[in-house]
Amino acid sequence: MKHKTKRVFFVLGMVVSLLVMAWQPVVAQEGSTLTIASGTDIENTNIHIVTSSPSFSVLEHIYEPLFSMSPEGELEPLLAESIEATSENTYEIALREGITFTDGTPFNAEAVKANLDWVLNVDNAATFRFLLVVGGEPAEVEVIDDLTVQITTATPFAPLPAHLSHGSLAMVSPAALDEGSDFLATNAIGTGPYVLGQWDRGERVVLERNAEYWGDMPDIETLIFSVVQEDGARIVEIEAGTVDVAVRVPPADMSRLEDNPDINVEVTPGLRTIYIFFNTTKAPFDDVRVRQAVNYAVDQAAIVEALFEGAALESTAPFASPIFGYSEQTPYSYDPDRARELLAEAGVEEGTTLELYHPTGRYIQDALVADAVRAQLSEVGLNVELRTLEWPQYVPFVRAPEEENEVQFAMLGWGTPTVDADYALFALFHSSEHPPGFNGAFYDNPDVDALLEEARSTLDPEARLAAYDQAIATIWEDAPWLFLYSEIQVTAIRNNVSGFVVHPDESLIATGATKE
Amino acid sequence: MTRYLIRRLLLAIPTLIGVSFFVFLSVRLVPGDPAIALAGELATPEIVAQVREDLGLDDPLHIQYITYMGRMLQGDMGQSIRSRLPVVDEIALRLPRTLLLTFASLLVAAAIGIPLGIASSTRPGSMFDTGSMIVALLGISMPIFWLGLMLMILFAVLIPDWLSLTSPVLPPTGYGTWQHMIMPVTALAANSIALQARMTRASMLEVLGQDYIRTARAKGQYERTVVYYHALRNALLPIVTIIGLQFGTLLGGAVLTETVFSWPGIGRLLVDSIGYRDYPVIQGTVFVIAVGFVLTNILVDVLYAYLDPRIQYR
Repeated sequence: MKHKTKRVFFVLGMVVSLLVMAWQPVVAQEGSTLTIASGTDIENTNIHIVTSSPSFSVLEHIYEPLFSMSPEGELEPLLAESIEATSENTYEIALREGITFTDGTPFNAEAVKANLDWVLNVDNAATFRFLLVVGGEPAEVEVIDDLTVQITTATPFAPLPAHLSHGSLAMVSPAALDEGSDFLATNAIGTGPYVLGQWDRGERVVLERNAEYWGDMPDIETLIFSVVQEDGARIVEIEAGTVDVAVRVPPADMSRLEDNPDINVEVTPGLRTIYIFFNTTKAPFDDVRVRQAVNYAVDQAAIVEALFEGAALESTAPFASPIFGYSEQTPYSYDPDRARELLAEAGVEEGTTLELYHPTGRYIQDALVADAVRAQLSEVGLNVELRTLEWPQYVPFVRAPEEENEVQFAMLGWGTPTVDADYALFALFHSSEHPPGFNGAFYDNPDVDALLEEARSTLDPEARLAAYDQAIATIWEDAPWLFLYSEIQVTAIRNNVSGFVVHPDESLIATGATKE
Repeated sequence: MTRYLIRRLLLAIPTLIGVSFFVFLSVRLVPGDPAIALAGELATPEIVAQVREDLGLDDPLHIQYITYMGRMLQGDMGQSIRSRLPVVDEIALRLPRTLLLTFASLLVAAAIGIPLGIASSTRPGSMFDTGSMIVALLGISMPIFWLGLMLMILFAVLIPDWLSLTSPVLPPTGYGTWQHMIMPVTALAANSIALQARMTRASMLEVLGQDYIRTARAKGQYERTVVYYHALRNALLPIVTIIGLQFGTLLGGAVLTETVFSWPGIGRLLVDSIGYRDYPVIQGTVFVIAVGFVLTNILVDVLYAYLDPRIQYR
């Protein structure tokens, strides 16, 4: 027995000493490497094709569009130098001189045309092709000279520069475009501050600094976008310091991370607004008093507080505040008495049954929000029945044409990737966009139509702002929606990192970041 | 024996064809159009139609199936909708990582679970027995993802905190070094350890009550010989069955473990692809997992013959 114990100890000793010898301490990479724990891998490296914000976050470090939208909603020239309207629907864009793609191909008017035409080519099935389609017609791109491009749209279209700032219209080396889709799916050749170092699929994307970059040289040499899907695991990573940035912090973990002296929790307003639209062609919601009554009866602030622990913003316009054209409105106060009065005036009887449609698992807490609305409306005597649908069935249902449309009121969310009010308002409130378009409320107000048309046809930002201001005030008063809230993004950043930007459009921008 | 093996392998072919058909149909019965998933909800009907055509989703189902099977026979599982890379490459990249995780867990589970079960069975009713069976019960009851997160917090946050280390003891997520393996393997093995311990204990108790064990003891053999030579060999049959089944469960568990620990294996590939309605990848992944199951089953049957000479295959 003694002999055996000795042997066991011997083996154990060997194992322990082997482990000690092989031990390499787990150290976060020092110096100028920045690691970002992202929730999802990129789809592929073709920026004209990808649709998810994690893909754009990574690829926008490699590819650059003609214009860029700052987090403050200011449109700035990037690869372009300026844009000018030469007639009411023709725009001339002057390009920046002396830029080359990382494969040596020069960036010029031909390159711009090659890229925009690639997106416009239906065969390439680019989702964001619609950014270049105005009034149902694709835009026409013409080369004027080496550094000038002309874009002609079917109707006047002021948001064009904003659309050109979208990541999907960033510039890819024409030589790479010629190689075809399979090549573009794994190779990334742009003009940006970083180049693709390595893509370990499902694991991480490594970007290296572009030594030849034409603009301000970034401080961070290596950027790692590490795929950490599980919310809890991202939190552990940031707490352990194995990553520098963690995205999508769940509301429940916010306060704990805020207490950690090594971590800053950044809250950025998002671009997606959640709302419940009323079918304004059907009783009882064809009466504005009933729509306003519902707005008075629902306590948005309480929903934001209870269901989101503050990680959402009560709506003060039909779209989120970072978007160009935003005009702050006073939210309908929570006033059940006023709601009851309005309902009585409109002749809606106590106990009237209504059907509220909502998706589940599509938006954060969607089903719970619908239930909260149901509960609050029952306080003012409305008997709401919830109808839950899976997302793939839901979309065609709420977008059914008028004669087949069964919706009384239904929940939806709308993001505005162009950060321009035209995108946020035209599709949702213009009378030409009734279902199968996105104006599910069948909202139809000639004044608003005129204002929205005016705002998309003038390039003057002040005039556009004035038109949106008026349109939004009217929409707010007409209440075709129960205005709810807009989402926010919560990001945890180690406090030795500064200059890291979370854009409202969910892009993560590390170009200006530094790390101590 | 060789003839038996060949027959079993041939019989596996219709099973796998059945699997491929079932998977092919079931991914198409789930609501949600991959063309919309790929193009996004903002895409115009024009673009969605183009995507659908590109993916060959316009063809009637039987044509799609024939095309799919025709390619399969040539070793081509198609192209991923999401990454546009060949499915075979996507799987070949990730399968070894999942197998590494699964086999490591299986080994750890057997190395701890079986001795634990034997030790318990030789001291039934003792403190040790009760204690280890309570622990086993805990192991079976703990969800993998929960245990995974707890381990992560312990090794990456709490222990470095207590010891005032500047870096975590173990990397919380990822893949690459043997240190990355410790937590996922522990989380994945916990359940199997428990199951194998309980199974071994039950099987051993039954065998230890048999007459020939009493005979062996009466002959004055060492207790160790009785337990390990006479009893264990006969108790192994149900244990091997359980281990074989466990292999499948572990492959399934790998889906969860891989998600929690960001382990870039086949399980996560499957989950991602389902979310994306990436039909070719779902089909390919499930098919490969099914092949794994079938081969394991055959292997277990063959092992029976070695363990119990009374079992003969013709």
